[in-house]
Amino acid sequence: MPKSPFIRVLLLIGTLLSAIRVAAATPVIDVEIKNHLFIPSEIIIPENTKVKLVIHNRDETDEEFESYELNREKVIIGNRKGVIFVGPLPAGEYPFFGEFFPKTAQGKVIVK
Amino acid sequence: MLKDHPGLEQTLLKISQMNSDKYFLKQCLVFLSALMVFLLSSPLYADGASGGTFIDKVYHPYVQPHEREIEWRGTYKKDSELRNQDNAQRHKLAYAQSFNDRWMGEIYLVGEKNRQKDFKLVSVELEALWQITEQGEYDYDWGMLFEAEHETEEHISEVSSALLIEREWGKWVGTANLYLIYEWGSHIDNELETAMALQGRYRLSRQLEPAIEFYSSDTSEGIGPVLLGTIKLGGRKQIRWEAGVIAGLDNETADETYKFSIEFEF
Repeated sequence: MPKSPFIRVLLLIGTLLSAIRVAAATPVIDVEIKNHLFIPSEIIIPENTKVKLVIHNRDETDEEFESYELNREKVIIGNRKGVIFVGPLPAGEYPFFGEFFPKTAQGKVIVK
Repeated sequence: MLKDHPGLEQTLLKISQMNSDKYFLKQCLVFLSALMVFLLSSPLYADGASGGTFIDKVYHPYVQPHEREIEWRGTYKKDSELRNQDNAQRHKLAYAQSFNDRWMGEIYLVGEKNRQKDFKLVSVELEALWQITEQGEYDYDWGMLFEAEHETEEHISEVSSALLIEREWGKWVGTANLYLIYEWGSHIDNELETAMALQGRYRLSRQLEPAIEFYSSDTSEGIGPVLLGTIKLGGRKQIRWEAGVIAGLDNETADETYKFSIEFEF
């Protein structure tokens, strides 16, 4: 097994089959960063559904959307926007914060 | 159902059709890249321009904008029967910087030491990491790694590309790096090779994540446990660390390869 390309071939076939599947519609939620606050700070999304968060950074400074619970880390450049996909997730609360202004930029994704 | 939640009043929730042209283009790109590796897969494996081990690092397909880092990583081999590998050390010192939210570049100085020679600089490497898809956008996250390496003493050069694939299953994360490598030089046969690195990681906590890694190339094949973690220092500053030991699975690979890396991001 070890010196055969067999595993690599299987891995590629599996991932390619997954990659060429048809894209589904994804709910989009807009979130703002303003004065180092996330608006809204609570983002409610449905259970077991992938959601696209469009983060609009209205501040001049960069901010990093950080959440170990969501396994996401994304720098949003000042006066730009960034996209973060979350889910599908089981019901629960998933905190996130702004890495560069953690005292004020805090929020959570609530999955119901 | 969504209207029952007052928190949603402050959010703009809409269902949008994904841009099908953009999606198709990305998937074609991924498909062609993977197909290239697939078609050229053969029982040849990379031995690296500097003749070193392929056991090194598993790359993840993500780039952050405005990110800079200094990295030091190394390997130390132990094998009482392979005298040329026993006590051999390999160290890499690197500087990396992202150009935007998709591309990151890194330059390495590589030094080696073994029983026969003292520590010295043996090669220079350039690397570019390309994040193709957003994390979580599709079932698998995709990226590409491009490397160029020149071994100063043996005059061997190497260029390589690797498909970086990552997928999340709850708290488990699987990563695959599939390499296609071409090397040439005055003292070796020019050849096209493939190699592979895999990692399965459990997201226990930010500070400590256990993982298992597997490497396969023509000169090294091994598997073993690795520990990883991140230490936040505030703002952009953080330290990412890794340490592990990879057990050789064949007679050409050292019984144990100890590996470590420290990255300072700022």
